[in-house]
Amino acid sequence: MRFKRFLAIFIIFVLLCPASAYADEPYNNYNYDFWGSPIPAPAAYVPARIVDGRSLGINEFKKPSDLFTGPDNKLYVADSGNNRIVVINENWELDRIIEGFSKNGTRDSFNNPKGLFVTKDGEIYVADTDNSRIVHLDADGNFVREIGPPVSEIIPADFQYYPTALVVDRANRLYVVAQGVNQGLIELDSQGMFVGYMGASKVRPNMIDYFWKLIATDEQRERLELFVPTEYNNVSIDNDGFIYVTTGSIALEDIEHAINTRSKDDRIAPVRKLNPTGTDVLRRNGYFPPVGDVYFRSRGYAEAGNSQLYDICIEDSGIYSVLDKKKGRIFTYDTDGNLLYLFGGIGNRLGNFRDPVALDVIDNNFVVLDFNMSQITVFEPTEYGRLVREAVELHLTGKYDESAAKWEQVLKFNANCELAYIGMGKALLRKDDFRQAMKYFRLGNKRDYYSKAFDLYRQEVIGENFGLVVLAILVLYIGSKILKRIRTRKREEIKAMGKVEA
Amino acid sequence: MEVLRSLRYSLYLIFHPFDGFWDLKHEKRGNLKTALIIVAMVGVTFILRRQLTGFILNEVKLRELNVIVEILSIVVPFFLWCVANWCLTTLMDGEGSFKDIVITSAYALVPLVLINIPLIVFSNIITLEEAAFYVFFDILSIVWAGLLLFLGTSVVHQYSLGKTFLTCICVVIGMGLIIFIALLFFSLLQQMFSFFYTIYKEIALRL
Repeated sequence: MRFKRFLAIFIIFVLLCPASAYADEPYNNYNYDFWGSPIPAPAAYVPARIVDGRSLGINEFKKPSDLFTGPDNKLYVADSGNNRIVVINENWELDRIIEGFSKNGTRDSFNNPKGLFVTKDGEIYVADTDNSRIVHLDADGNFVREIGPPVSEIIPADFQYYPTALVVDRANRLYVVAQGVNQGLIELDSQGMFVGYMGASKVRPNMIDYFWKLIATDEQRERLELFVPTEYNNVSIDNDGFIYVTTGSIALEDIEHAINTRSKDDRIAPVRKLNPTGTDVLRRNGYFPPVGDVYFRSRGYAEAGNSQLYDICIEDSGIYSVLDKKKGRIFTYDTDGNLLYLFGGIGNRLGNFRDPVALDVIDNNFVVLDFNMSQITVFEPTEYGRLVREAVELHLTGKYDESAAKWEQVLKFNANCELAYIGMGKALLRKDDFRQAMKYFRLGNKRDYYSKAFDLYRQEVIGENFGLVVLAILVLYIGSKILKRIRTRKREEIKAMGKVEA
Repeated sequence: MEVLRSLRYSLYLIFHPFDGFWDLKHEKRGNLKTALIIVAMVGVTFILRRQLTGFILNEVKLRELNVIVEILSIVVPFFLWCVANWCLTTLMDGEGSFKDIVITSAYALVPLVLINIPLIVFSNIITLEEAAFYVFFDILSIVWAGLLLFLGTSVVHQYSLGKTFLTCICVVIGMGLIIFIALLFFSLLQQMFSFFYTIYKEIALRL
């Protein structure tokens, strides 16, 4: 009887228990370990909602190509196919639509605007692509000025100007990405006058190509691929005025080479961070350079090939995320270039994309714009994702102990998180607990820090046992002396015996 | 006892290669048994190296360590070298027999064991800044063994240094050729096997 009652209670208890947590995101959650193997990880971000024309109460988006988070957490969407700018407020409701503007008394509108930028004051710059111009509107959407094609003697007369993305820095200089331009970004001064090209990637022809070019005939040479710098496809700016650019046109072999050699080189890099002189200053201190996926098949499969990075967004803390257009993934890196987490995928379910083209972050949520499905997907952080972000941000602001506490919590979610071990190791190192620090750096596969901890630990051990060490050296020294003497004596004895026998 | 004496002789040989290799062959100071033991020791050394080298210098994924592959990666190139060496030198008036070649080549590998074993211990007590010493000794062991292999070939076949150099290059090419033919042979064998297997299946299905 007792047993039956116990059983009944037990069954009720089991039924009442919530079903075990099950990852229902329509994509794989993983991260790369030191050796570049994808290791399953908890989801860092999960899809929260879809924002599209219907949910906003307006007609559907048509081939939208860019979105941007402005001040007051307003989201600006370049709805290219409908030639309009849609502004969404923080409750995911329609704020306003900018369909045109009045220019010197006449009505004017956009023609396939593919990119936009909103300054801290709310001024809107629109890359009005098919009109070959950049339109500057004030915060209320009133026309301020338009900036036409750049004029200079180094630009050929037949140059077709199709601006697709732009940023404006604090001094109101413009940096524009235009179709078919591989000399870098087009830099315009605050008046809109052409200053020059900026930040073109350096070209590195490989030896084999160079050899073929050397022996090729003139006709063949003309048909060979030109060694030109890669074209940028998007641009973004951080709070300190550094400009981040992405490119998707790096050859598969070059990306594979960069991954295999753990390259820190800026020449073959799909993400670059440019200082005002156009030099790359991105830190690539992670186990692998920030190139998106590290492990992939070369050819012959549906998901073969490297990531095609298409957009980048930088948060206030310096953490940046890139969007892989081909596989629909978002990769988030810290300022050192460590991959924090990644999520997303191609497909048809909530959280999947068909053709993601733009990415931005709004109040810790990611918003991704899909060109093909004409909708915005909003992702919100999970407990795990939030912890990782907080740990990194605390570390960046110098709060190492708080950061370590967060990393410890991260480890409860993901015991394979090398970054967490490293973060905890660093905190232990600061507390002079070298032995424990070594253990954690070892788990995090961080050899340089392990070496540092080991060096200090070694000093400690030698210091503590200084007497013993000296004693050991003395004993060895005297022992060897005695041994030598015994040997020579023996040899002499043998010699003497030989003489006697002789 | 003979093996021990012979092993002790190898310590003399690596410092006096000309006399050492001469006596090894003509005074019968070495024997096949010891030679094979040395090769085995080299194999073991490399396994230990992979497994026990200090964390700072050891980037091997220990989860994927395969002892058999490790041993084969020492033993196969060694015998490939010996076979290619023998094939070539018999055509080029070499005086060494196959046994001589095996013994000489094995004794030439002694520095690999002698340096690498202490190096494993050393790697566990150094930091990244001191890794240069490790790399130096690592390279030293390879250069030393390579030099001994070269001199051993010269002495055992009674070649001039120039001829030895040429022979060594040819032997390396010969090793490549042997691998190529072996691969060809196995791929042919595989195709033949699958051919007969399909015939068998065809018949079995029709009957």
